[in-house]
Amino acid sequence: MVTQFTPVFIIILFAIFGIAAGMLGMSAALGPRKKTAVKQMPYESGMDPIGDARQRFDVRYYLVAIMFLLFDVELLFLYPWAVAQYSATPAVETASGMAPAAIPGVPPVFRGMVFVEIMVFIAVLMAAYAYAWKKGVFEWR
Amino acid sequence: MDVWLIAGILFKILVVVGISQGAVAYLILVERKIAAYAQDRIGPNRCGREVRLPFGLLQPIADGAKMLLKEDVIPSYVNKPLYILAPAIAIIAATIGFAVVPFGPVGPSAPTALGAPFQFQIAPGVDVGIVYVFAVGSLGVYAVVLAGWASNNKYAFLGGLRSSAQLISYEVPLGLSILGMVLIARSLDLNKIIEWQDRNVWGIFIQPIGFLLFLISSFAETNRLPFDLPESEQELVGGFHTEYSAMKFGMFFLGEYLNIITTSYLVVILFLGGWDLPFLNAGQTGWLPAFLKAFVLLGKVGAIVVFIMWVRWTLPRFRYDQLMDLAWKTMIPLAILNLVATAIVVQYAWGH
Repeated sequence: MVTQFTPVFIIILFAIFGIAAGMLGMSAALGPRKKTAVKQMPYESGMDPIGDARQRFDVRYYLVAIMFLLFDVELLFLYPWAVAQYSATPAVETASGMAPAAIPGVPPVFRGMVFVEIMVFIAVLMAAYAYAWKKGVFEWR
Repeated sequence: MDVWLIAGILFKILVVVGISQGAVAYLILVERKIAAYAQDRIGPNRCGREVRLPFGLLQPIADGAKMLLKEDVIPSYVNKPLYILAPAIAIIAATIGFAVVPFGPVGPSAPTALGAPFQFQIAPGVDVGIVYVFAVGSLGVYAVVLAGWASNNKYAFLGGLRSSAQLISYEVPLGLSILGMVLIARSLDLNKIIEWQDRNVWGIFIQPIGFLLFLISSFAETNRLPFDLPESEQELVGGFHTEYSAMKFGMFFLGEYLNIITTSYLVVILFLGGWDLPFLNAGQTGWLPAFLKAFVLLGKVGAIVVFIMWVRWTLPRFRYDQLMDLAWKTMIPLAILNLVATAIVVQYAWGH
């Protein structure tokens, strides 16, 4: 069965087994292999490494990750809205030849309401953003 | 029937992947040449001299052969499965993004071959288009994080951390900046967005702020200077790919340049009208307009790619706190303002 996502599936398979595995395999097969003790050390510009590389790191990286989650979820919510808000217009319906009810989207009657709701949503998000800014999440100095 | 469909899809994939990989090899040469001219040098000019080819045109082939034939050092302190997985993710994520990018006319204006319309796109029907490209592009973060972590090297670890924080920070303005365009064009399908621009005006004229934000964040997403903190040589040696050698290093490199091509296609398709020029429009069918459109699109993409390489030799690198400030304190508020303003104008002024 061929659907619209079949080509996507095929290119993913091709990228994994054709390109990535092929490149790794060819490189492993064609390149020389001479292990020496020094070559196997972590590279630190010629110095002998002291301690493990996996140390504790700055808490601000975690904070940025949390803020990213907040904004990314919000983005995922805004995409469907941006598409659906005006897609059910009479002009689009006549152009595509579909029945008015068959086109997904916000019915024109509800547009004002949905618009206000989205504005409230963005306002709440901005309040959280202002709070995070005030708390110093974005201070990197 | 299905067998032929799948054979057609495979053929398109092979053509696209082959051309894009070849283009990447030559982009590296172009980049080195631009670097050389920017610094008043000559640049690579030896490879190909024996067969009378100018400009070092065989340099990419020599580079490719060298990557494959060098020793693939796997240091003994690394986390081996993740260490091998990271470059694979980098190249896979960069390759599969091409699936929904249109390279020419798609849909009603596509030319016909063998009784069926020939679409200049690997997956013509996918209507989530741009979300798919972003989703796949975000997978690239895993490559950076895993490479930095698995290498067990302090430079790589710091580079990986910085890079992942940078990539996720700039993903937010990247996503927000196109929402205005999506709202206006009413679709996530890249072809529909081009068709809308063909019927009306180019995106850059109605969404100039969105265009700027998108361009800047795509510089950051592709790790190009002025945003190349992850691999700033002077402080971090090679950043997250310090411990990689031979083709594994090459895979990161290829992935990065493939991302540049995808990003340039997105910039052109979203904001510069795609294949649209004043004398080309969606009504023209047949092979001649189709090839013209594909070449116009390719020419615009080439201009953006050259622009990206030119900027590298024009702007100095950001400091890390400036980089984060730009993303969180300037670009995100601007992007949200742009979105709200666009929504208000579309809702009340355009009278839907």
